[in-house]
Amino acid sequence: MTGFVLRLAWRETRGAWRAFGYFFACVTLGVAALVGVGSFADSLERTVAHSARSLMGGDVEIRSSQPLPVPPEQIVAAAGLSRESVAVTRVREVVAMAQAGPHVTQLVELKAVEAGYPLHGALLSEPAGALDTLIGDGRALVHESLLSRLGLRVGDSFRVGAAELTITGVILKEPDRAIGVFSLGPRVLIAAADLDRTALIQPGSRVRHRTLFRLPDGGNAEAFRDRAAARLPIAQRVTTYTQAQPGLRRFWDQLTMYLGLTGLVALMVGGIGVAVSVSAFMADKQASIAIMKALGAGWRPLLIAYLLQIAALGLGGSLLGAALGSLIQPLLAPALTRLLPIDLTLTFSTRAVLRGLAMGVGVTLLYALWPLLRIRHVPPALILRREAEARRPGRRPWLAMVPIALGLAALALWQAGSWKIGALFAGGLAVALGLLALGARGVVALARRVPWRGAAWRQGAANLHRPGSHAGPVLVSLGLAVMLVVAIAVLESGLRSQMTDRGPDETPAFFFIDIQPDQAEPFARLVAEHGAIAPAELTPVVRARLAAINGAPISPPERTRREETWALTREYVLTWAKEPPRHNTVVAGRWWTAAEAAGEPLISVEEEIAGQLGVRPGDRLTFDVQGVPVAARVSNLRHVDWRSLTSNFFVIFSPGALEGAPSTFIATVQTRPDREGPMQSAVVAELPNVTAIPVREVLERVRGVLDQIALAVRLVAAFSIVAGLVVMAGALAITRQQRLYQSVILKVVGATRGFVARVFAVEYVLLGAAAGVTGSALAAALAWAVMRWAFDLPGRWAPGALLAGVLSATGLALLVGLLGTRRLLGRRPLGVLRGE
Amino acid sequence: MISVSGLSMRLASGGRVVTILTDVSLEVPAGQFLAIAGPSGSGKSTLLGLVAGLDQPTAGRIEVAGVDVTALDEDALARFRRDHVGYVFQSYHLIPTLTAQENVAVPLELAGRRDAGDRARALLAELGLAGRAHHYPVQLSGGEQQRVAVARAIALEPPLLLADEPTGNLDSATGKQIIDLLVGVNRRLGCTLVLVTHDAALAAHADRVVTLRDGRIVSDE
Repeated sequence: MTGFVLRLAWRETRGAWRAFGYFFACVTLGVAALVGVGSFADSLERTVAHSARSLMGGDVEIRSSQPLPVPPEQIVAAAGLSRESVAVTRVREVVAMAQAGPHVTQLVELKAVEAGYPLHGALLSEPAGALDTLIGDGRALVHESLLSRLGLRVGDSFRVGAAELTITGVILKEPDRAIGVFSLGPRVLIAAADLDRTALIQPGSRVRHRTLFRLPDGGNAEAFRDRAAARLPIAQRVTTYTQAQPGLRRFWDQLTMYLGLTGLVALMVGGIGVAVSVSAFMADKQASIAIMKALGAGWRPLLIAYLLQIAALGLGGSLLGAALGSLIQPLLAPALTRLLPIDLTLTFSTRAVLRGLAMGVGVTLLYALWPLLRIRHVPPALILRREAEARRPGRRPWLAMVPIALGLAALALWQAGSWKIGALFAGGLAVALGLLALGARGVVALARRVPWRGAAWRQGAANLHRPGSHAGPVLVSLGLAVMLVVAIAVLESGLRSQMTDRGPDETPAFFFIDIQPDQAEPFARLVAEHGAIAPAELTPVVRARLAAINGAPISPPERTRREETWALTREYVLTWAKEPPRHNTVVAGRWWTAAEAAGEPLISVEEEIAGQLGVRPGDRLTFDVQGVPVAARVSNLRHVDWRSLTSNFFVIFSPGALEGAPSTFIATVQTRPDREGPMQSAVVAELPNVTAIPVREVLERVRGVLDQIALAVRLVAAFSIVAGLVVMAGALAITRQQRLYQSVILKVVGATRGFVARVFAVEYVLLGAAAGVTGSALAAALAWAVMRWAFDLPGRWAPGALLAGVLSATGLALLVGLLGTRRLLGRRPLGVLRGE
Repeated sequence: MISVSGLSMRLASGGRVVTILTDVSLEVPAGQFLAIAGPSGSGKSTLLGLVAGLDQPTAGRIEVAGVDVTALDEDALARFRRDHVGYVFQSYHLIPTLTAQENVAVPLELAGRRDAGDRARALLAELGLAGRAHHYPVQLSGGEQQRVAVARAIALEPPLLLADEPTGNLDSATGKQIIDLLVGVNRRLGCTLVLVTHDAALAAHADRVVTLRDGRIVSDE
């Protein structure tokens, strides 16, 4: 029996290669998208892993907003290592204002390093040279963009705080630059001693202290980390190089996961093409199946033989797709590597290829199974009379759909690598397919009902609902592709307008941070004199760490798993207020009265972080405010509208509770764009330690990042559209004979080529427009849901994107259709009718 | 009505050239019922197809109703057929995706007739197919399909009716019905009828019988 099955599979495949061209293309496109993204993700992961030590600048890092409370030698000793064998260096990072002349200022990221930095990797500069020859004694290396922004050249000087710095060169590569994407300003690299000369570090200033350790060869970084962590307060985060740049990794993991799912849509669209091809193939094979059944073959070996054949074809298409995917990886890379702080080495990824092959074959088989199951119902009597009725399918034919749907859902889960996202994707896909199928039915019914005017319209519309029409699957696959692409466009436009569509009264021009208490008054006067639209809103802030929840100290062992412990170990910026701030609504408990606030320290906690901490009104939180424990009872939970570009806080204290704690002020200031420069310069000139964060510039940078991401997403999504068009071209190819026949008979009874072309054009336009409308409608709903629930932003209509979706779907369907059928128009009738 | 002179047709087939018609000349006056007889492969169907402009001859000239068919391009040929020719095939050649009534309505619609649907329905009723108007070709018997094809061919009352072995796929009783129908149209509308057949009994109904063999006219009586 096995021999028969294999031989049959081979014989049927032998003659079928040409017929399966579109099948092939569908699988190839989907797998190419997946392998392209997968290889890129793999290259990225390998590059990050490879350069993990230099990304961290050491083997182990201790990072905190507070200085290391013990000398690093103690930590080395506690880890049981000799002082000489471990190299240690300290790095401090602050944001600050650089000043070159009275009216030229720029936000910079200042980094002060000691001898020995970096412990791994190399800092490249122009001119090249040992670091201690380039920095120290008031000398600085800067990122090139600072030169252009301040109008300086190497050799020139600028001020930061109280210090005058001379530029000795330009930084070409900085191994441990934290995720380059979201930096606030150009880097300025100086020696540790020079940071103290700037006088920027004052109580309450935002400083990131990093102590880096390089262990001797063969040193166990994990053991070192655990020993160090055990000796340090929770506020000191200890990580090894394998955990380097968690933010960067999370960003890329998420991005490549969503790109992968976008690629999976292309494969799912292609799967519909597979089903259409297999369906047509089965229709052709009815007679041979009937003959084999008449000769005594059961349906099972027949089904297995055809499944083998389809699997072989699916594997072929997948192999081609894997090759194509490996080739497009370099296309995807330039769109994204500008967001990378490291040089990406593109590698061939066996894992991505194998996964792509498995996905390709899996999706092919699952989509092919439904039409193949019709083998069961082919009556052997077909060899006697063509009209022999197919055996009635079983009582519940849809039952076969269940394992198919489950299989596809499993593939989605595998691709997503996350239960939640995978389930959301599979569920969303199922709903979308269901709605598209319903929509397709509606469109076909409408094509039948509408009293079309004009012969070409009537004929063209009729092609949609005639027997043998593939309008259904074409509408579903094209609609799915349109949905994906349009939803992306709508989301993009929604996110963009979130950043741009704000009145000047809503958007502050600046956030000013690190305003010392004695500077509050001169600061307010300064900004008022320099064109602030309203008085500066000064908010007192105190930096603190969470020390205990309901009296239970935050336990150290939990700290290594960053995802879960972020809410526990992060630095909290606390403030106090009498009234709830604007854009805040109390969702549990209630805001305090003056009397309640006078009674005991109360706090209001933002609802999401309260969820992560597991606290409710009535619970007690203890904060470590620079060494002093401050306990407070949770009085209420707040919902914060994070879109409001103003200072928002996770935790707000009742007035009085934080009095005496070392505080600074932050301020938001609104002004006209043309006053921004002068205002920034004036503040920096008089209060050099105050940092101005220009909101417009930051939004600009975020927009730049969004552009890069959008480019990559669109590139991957384009595979779905091409796959959708291939499905359509495939469906047209299947009906080619029918169309040719129709066109020559129309010619016999007097139709011109123009008329026949119009008939086809009407059909394609209706198909494209219907797919465009249903796809865009679903896209609008999908984008709305994502905006609402994933981004917590109001849903938005992007009529432009929706209209563009409908028009381009229509145009592309018309183009592909006419390209596919144009050769039919020139055929002379006699030869065709004789079957030549 | 039809004037054929020096008509030749050669086709390249499988690397060699096959001669189908050689120097055929023929005059058919208006209103005549002409039968073209001959064994299969003698070139009768090709001759009929060339008269309708369904293909281009290798040499020669065909004039129908004063129009030089060989000089027309594809679209002009289509319009010529719409205005002058009704064609009935041996294997019906209805558009499988259209119902009977829609098939009959196609030439009427192409001619811009506003009453295409009504006229098609009336024609089908005349041919005893009122109850089958909304059936697709596969749902019709051979005889019914051929009657629909005849209805389509005569829908615009063309001056020239061409029938290519219209009874070839039918049993003799049904075939007789079709022939009676065609001859009736020929008599009633006064149109010219050219019937290709290899059935001598059928040919006997005609005003005139031209016999082809190996692409040449061997008798004309």
